[in-house]
Amino acid sequence: MSTGLYFYAICRGVTADDLAGQAGIGEAPLRLVDQDGLGAVVSEVDLDEFGEDGLKRNLEDLAWLETVALAHDRVTRLVAEKAPTAPLRLATVFLGEASLREQLAQWHERAERALDRVEGRSEWSVKAYVDPEARGEQSQDEPAPEGMGAGKAYLLKRRAATLRRESLAEADAATADEIHAALQGVSVAGRRLAPQDRRLTGHTGEMVLNGTYLVDETRVVLFKSAVDALAAQHVGVRVEVGGPWPPYSFASLDEQ
Amino acid sequence: MTPSPRVQYDMASSRPQQANLADILERVLDKGIVIAGDIKVNLLDIELLTIKIRLLVASVDKAKEMGIDWWENDPMLSSRKRDQVLEEENRELKERLKELESGA
Repeated sequence: MSTGLYFYAICRGVTADDLAGQAGIGEAPLRLVDQDGLGAVVSEVDLDEFGEDGLKRNLEDLAWLETVALAHDRVTRLVAEKAPTAPLRLATVFLGEASLREQLAQWHERAERALDRVEGRSEWSVKAYVDPEARGEQSQDEPAPEGMGAGKAYLLKRRAATLRRESLAEADAATADEIHAALQGVSVAGRRLAPQDRRLTGHTGEMVLNGTYLVDETRVVLFKSAVDALAAQHVGVRVEVGGPWPPYSFASLDEQ
Repeated sequence: MTPSPRVQYDMASSRPQQANLADILERVLDKGIVIAGDIKVNLLDIELLTIKIRLLVASVDKAKEMGIDWWENDPMLSSRKRDQVLEEENRELKERLKELESGA
């Protein structure tokens, strides 16, 4: 079988000893490829599985995708707990160490800057949900005014329901904007991801904010207090905090 | 400080319990350093695999069924969807009105 190198993350200051005994995808041992002070965390993968054809086939298999995504995240987390880390996108595979080193050398300066940006920081996810039932979609059944025809009364009722829905949606958007802006104020950077589909997550209520924030380690407590305060301010809004994550959303190479 | 009851933390340092597959996929598939923006795979020439995974996954019906469709969350698309809902509702209302008026 021919093998390639699956590239999980770029890091600075991790040693081969740190990775000793640790396994990546398919239980293959993790290795560190060191190039001018930057480390690439890699493990060997079978190219039948991770080559061009293999990937095209396997990425259509959600069970495969889940296994690989979990392993990718586990390794990235392990490295990020030890040193500044810039994760790579899933399924970045090099055919040999030489091409990997060449790529690392080419990325060197931009990777250093990306690592500088995330050093001593981690990513925190904050999601806000509103529960339309809990806040009461009541007031449906007001009696029609005297002398009004059933058709007109019905139309008015439907119109009122539509307006109510629209104003609730506007209020939700404003709540999400407000929470996001406040959290940007206590983080280094913040981004909004698309709200998740409940068919995948099983969450209840409406996800109005799926934000992710780069937070300085010295300010995590402050960040969480801010989340608590925001949750207390917005009655009917449920806030979920997740983290720390490796800085997936903030370690890109193309920022200046 | 005691967290308010409406705040849930997941603090595990390994895989957070609350971090569902969607949390992980939206990061590992959509974020992170990417080698190239497009499918440009040429094993013989450059010995480098580059895949724009989002495109590949987007072609998967199974993923769509499960709701992994954030690449489609284009504001244009979602507002169009909303318009469709409103149009549909408008049509229903007109029909209902006609029914009521003819019945009266």
